[in-house]
Amino acid sequence: MSKSKTPPVYNNRDLSWVDFNRRVLEEALDPSLPPLERLKFLAITASNFDEFFMVRVGALEFLLDQGRNEPDLSGLTVHDQLLAISSRAHEMVDTLYTCFLNQVKPALRDAGIRRLYTNDLTPQVYDYLEQVFDHDLYPILSPIALHPDEPFPSIPGLAINLLVRLKPANDAKPSRKTPFRYAVVPIPRKLGRFITVPIDEGHNYCLTEDVVAEFVERLFPGEPIAETVPFRITRNADMSVREDAAGDLLHRMKEVLDARKQSDCVRLEIAATAGKTSAEKLTSLLQVRPDAIYPISGPIDLSAYFGLARMTGLDHLRDKPWPPQQSPDVPANTSLFDIISRKDLLLHHPYESFDPVVRLVEEAADDPNVLAIKQILYRTSENSPIIAALARAANREKHVTAIVELKARFDEARNIGWAKELERSGVQVIYGIKGLKTHAKICVIVRREGGGIRRYVHFGTGNYNENTARLYTDISYLTCNDDYGADATAFFNMITGFSQPIRFRKLEAAPIGLKDRLLELIESERMRKREGQDARIIARLNSLVHPDIINALYRASQAGVKIHLNIRGICCLRPGVPGLSENIEVVSIVDRFLEHSRILYFHQGGEPQVFISSADWMPRNLERRVELLIPVDDDACRNRLIHILETIFRDTLKARRQKPDGSYERIKPSRNAPPLRSQEAFYQAAREAHQLAQRNDKAVFVPERPSLVT
Amino acid sequence: MSTLPPPPPSDPAPVEPPRLYAVLDIGATAVRMEIAEIGSDGAIRTVETLRQSVHLGKDTFTLGRIQQSTIEDCVNILRGYRRVMKEYGVEEDRHIRAVATSSVREAANRDSFLDRIYIATKINIDIIEETEETRLTYLAVQDILTREPLLQKGDVLVVEVGGGDTELLHMHDGFVSFSNTYRLGALRMRETLESRGSSNQQMVDLFLRHIKLTVDQIKRNVPLQKASTLVAVSGDARFAAAEISSTWDHHNMVRIPTKAFAAFARQIGPLSIDDLVRDHHLSYQEAETLGPSLLAYAELAKAFRIQNIIVPKSSLRQGLLREVAIGNAWTPEFTEQVWHSALALGHKYAFDERHGTQVADLSVRLYHELQPEHLLPPRYELILRIAALLHEIGLFINNRSHHKHSMYAILNSDLFGMSRHDMLIIALIARYHRRAMPQPYHEGYATLDRDDRMVVAKLSAILRVADALDRNHMQQVREISYTRRPGQFTIYVHDVEDLFLERVALKEKGRLFDDVYGMRVSLETGTPTEGWLSDV
Repeated sequence: MSKSKTPPVYNNRDLSWVDFNRRVLEEALDPSLPPLERLKFLAITASNFDEFFMVRVGALEFLLDQGRNEPDLSGLTVHDQLLAISSRAHEMVDTLYTCFLNQVKPALRDAGIRRLYTNDLTPQVYDYLEQVFDHDLYPILSPIALHPDEPFPSIPGLAINLLVRLKPANDAKPSRKTPFRYAVVPIPRKLGRFITVPIDEGHNYCLTEDVVAEFVERLFPGEPIAETVPFRITRNADMSVREDAAGDLLHRMKEVLDARKQSDCVRLEIAATAGKTSAEKLTSLLQVRPDAIYPISGPIDLSAYFGLARMTGLDHLRDKPWPPQQSPDVPANTSLFDIISRKDLLLHHPYESFDPVVRLVEEAADDPNVLAIKQILYRTSENSPIIAALARAANREKHVTAIVELKARFDEARNIGWAKELERSGVQVIYGIKGLKTHAKICVIVRREGGGIRRYVHFGTGNYNENTARLYTDISYLTCNDDYGADATAFFNMITGFSQPIRFRKLEAAPIGLKDRLLELIESERMRKREGQDARIIARLNSLVHPDIINALYRASQAGVKIHLNIRGICCLRPGVPGLSENIEVVSIVDRFLEHSRILYFHQGGEPQVFISSADWMPRNLERRVELLIPVDDDACRNRLIHILETIFRDTLKARRQKPDGSYERIKPSRNAPPLRSQEAFYQAAREAHQLAQRNDKAVFVPERPSLVT
Repeated sequence: MSTLPPPPPSDPAPVEPPRLYAVLDIGATAVRMEIAEIGSDGAIRTVETLRQSVHLGKDTFTLGRIQQSTIEDCVNILRGYRRVMKEYGVEEDRHIRAVATSSVREAANRDSFLDRIYIATKINIDIIEETEETRLTYLAVQDILTREPLLQKGDVLVVEVGGGDTELLHMHDGFVSFSNTYRLGALRMRETLESRGSSNQQMVDLFLRHIKLTVDQIKRNVPLQKASTLVAVSGDARFAAAEISSTWDHHNMVRIPTKAFAAFARQIGPLSIDDLVRDHHLSYQEAETLGPSLLAYAELAKAFRIQNIIVPKSSLRQGLLREVAIGNAWTPEFTEQVWHSALALGHKYAFDERHGTQVADLSVRLYHELQPEHLLPPRYELILRIAALLHEIGLFINNRSHHKHSMYAILNSDLFGMSRHDMLIIALIARYHRRAMPQPYHEGYATLDRDDRMVVAKLSAILRVADALDRNHMQQVREISYTRRPGQFTIYVHDVEDLFLERVALKEKGRLFDDVYGMRVSLETGTPTEGWLSDV
């Protein structure tokens, strides 16, 4: 065996991500999907790219600026990576717009959703738009003149702008002496991207920038307009908070937000119709490298179409919804404390509703026996009922501790907002740990009961956000087992700084022991295999990047351990390479819901250990974040997780398998098994379980009792 | 709903819900807190465990005092702990017990330290004495000692190598036969021996040489060739146990062969602090004590040719919790341990054991009889019993003024589990078993407050009567009964021919009783006359 060992090969992290985004785009290309679903996937692809350029391309550019061009594990230098990203991204942008213009847009037009152009309007509509411009747009537009000798003005990233090329006044010919004048008109974000046009038939909209362009000469009286060009820049946003700097964290966060408005341009999207003069002017002023320029043949920023894709009343253009079902383990009129005290509860979102988790916090806020609530809030929704419950609990003299992670990327502004709100209600708000992002999802409720103190714990793989809980696949595990309770409070004592880390009974936390534990578990499978036992590892994750883990998996594969990885996004591990990873299978599912849970299975010689976790297997998760690894030892819950893992590996409709060359291909349904779409199977199962429970419910007469939840 | 199992059978109405307590241990390297529930049956359930590193030991062992910055660190830690206590509604003083050990005890500015903590956090820290520490160590491991058959036979050493001191208990056939505190501390060693430039291996050699000195001293105190088991109590030992035996998390204790323990100590010993912190996820303070502490356990095991080391899960904090759980009273097991220790002391002074035991026994009977008069809490029964047992050990020195010799012999001895203050009371009771009545200018007695003086008077009065009852050292008095009349307390002694000698003795000794209890004590043979009490 050892003689045939192959040196490890790895996929590049960022190109692997681009591959993932291509799989999202492929969903949009699927002609069997209704048009608004396809539009949604186009918008997701576009918005994914926005974040990717800001953060990852930004980081690579930064490395290059620092003169650090060393190759990564896959052997690519920073420069190579930037070129490869650019070439793939250009190709994908072309595909994206071809799909939008040639397929989705016509399909929408046939369904009555039309984009109107200003050169093709009835006089009534034209008058209407003129009024809109005069009343709503004109007062808040602020053109900025461009001067050749001054730096490019600070315009916000990711917003639409118009570049206006102006001829010299009084009909003078532009010349060396009196050249064209240029100005930028930023389109304020609060105007929205679409202006709905009141026409009887269908839904008709104009793009805001079109309307501004149409009447733009009113901003430049006396100067004839030569050209208006929509464009958008993406700035380098890799401004990690300088934790060592003075001042308190909140203050520094605000500085980051300010800095984000003025960093380097890593991508320029410019209307493909732009004249050469204007395009060159813009690129030279912005100092954009040629490969960072993206000529756009349709509306810039397709992510704006999210709103359109979600518009009400167009259900015939969408998939039949799969609404979250009530878990049969959570009867409507029973207190969650009662339910959890009888047995551990496992919820599979979004097939099963997130409500019980919200209800638990709400019940806790109103329960006189509850002494304390402690919770980590990483990304939560606006008007979150959980935040409201925490505030209410604090008002009722309960001890409420909220660890609010300000460093949640791009959500900083929102996070600062509710952190303040909670503090005002008397919640002890803690802004994370120095140098570490708090990414674990955990809530513990301390309750005084007849038999003594009892702690109810919720562990999750997703954030406390009831909106994303309808779109992301995640696991909730609720228990009042004392080992978990003791660990949970110890964990909070650790992150609130009341105590140094102590040995946990069941959990492992990053960055302390989580990675070591994973390596131990992988190594233990390898040793068992070598001793002749059955050995198997199954994992569902979003990303696999950490070289230590990948190498451990390679070693385990070389020893003969069967490894099944279901990794939605980045995977730097290369499966199926002879002598290296032929026992590893890598599958990625992209479907209606965003695959998000983290579930791990280690065979352990036939007594499998199953975990859920907040952590992906990336250096940032295992070394720079506070994460949790939670063993699920309750038999019923564990078996359910195993069933979930088995099902996602039987998916033949939305799963793609990574080939030994690193590329992905769709899985072909085998002749022996019927085709399966795992997300649909989970939804159907949740629905049937709910209906069965309802039928059983009706077979029993239950006296009406006042609900505990108000 | 049909999917729910029936609710678990509820316990037959718990008498009272468990109470929450917080115990805090201000140690040389860390301030630790445990919040625990104590049920009405005395069962202890730990709810939270917290620890924060501090430099108390470092300051005291090198500078002799606690630095201001360290005091403020402690204030901050304890403020945090206060918050956690508050979450559980643990706010009253009687639900909080905080103790400090050598690193505060030896600090020149200990009083200002205690004041500052009290002002900032309202936490009252008790500095516990060395003997109290051994008692708490015993309480911490009592469960294991009484449950584990291996530990009930032969010679067992219970050792806690702390930051500043080492507590040692020698158990013989289940009883404490010796206990002492040695100035061998893991942190003290590092702070006093460490010097710039010495290699890690040189440090290990220095530690070993230093440990050897104490081990030799212990060998002199505990003259044994071989002991069966070493019970190693401390965070360092627990760390080693968890590293050596991965499955121990689920048990109260783990047994580790000395070989494996020593090998681990040799492996840890030479590692640098940085290596330990990085590879073993320890804090710097934990890493500093680990090496020297494990070496000390290993050396002790070697010196007594011990095969197995038992590491219990419990710590000083469990001792504190047990103490809270049993209230102010002492458990029968603990009383037995103290009694054994007192007997051992008596033998050292070649005392008349049968007389001592007889007087102790009679004293206890009188103590119970007179409960309505003296109104003392139960713990004084043991104090009196021990004073009675040892009242004549001064005879070993000289017959003349032997009561005074008894007093200083007791004062200069350690009895397992008895504080210095307890020992002073015991010594004074023994001193007043004959001759002069307590006087405010008497040595020792002068330092007592009013309540303690009353205790000494009440108990020595009883001791005098009991002693008179065994005047001839023949242990003839077996059965007694009593009657009370206003101003008169009569003891009836059965089964004796005459009480001539005893009456003479009582005449000489009974005055203290008359004064203290306001009743004349007299002796009669036979049984009390019927109908006596109805006359009153």
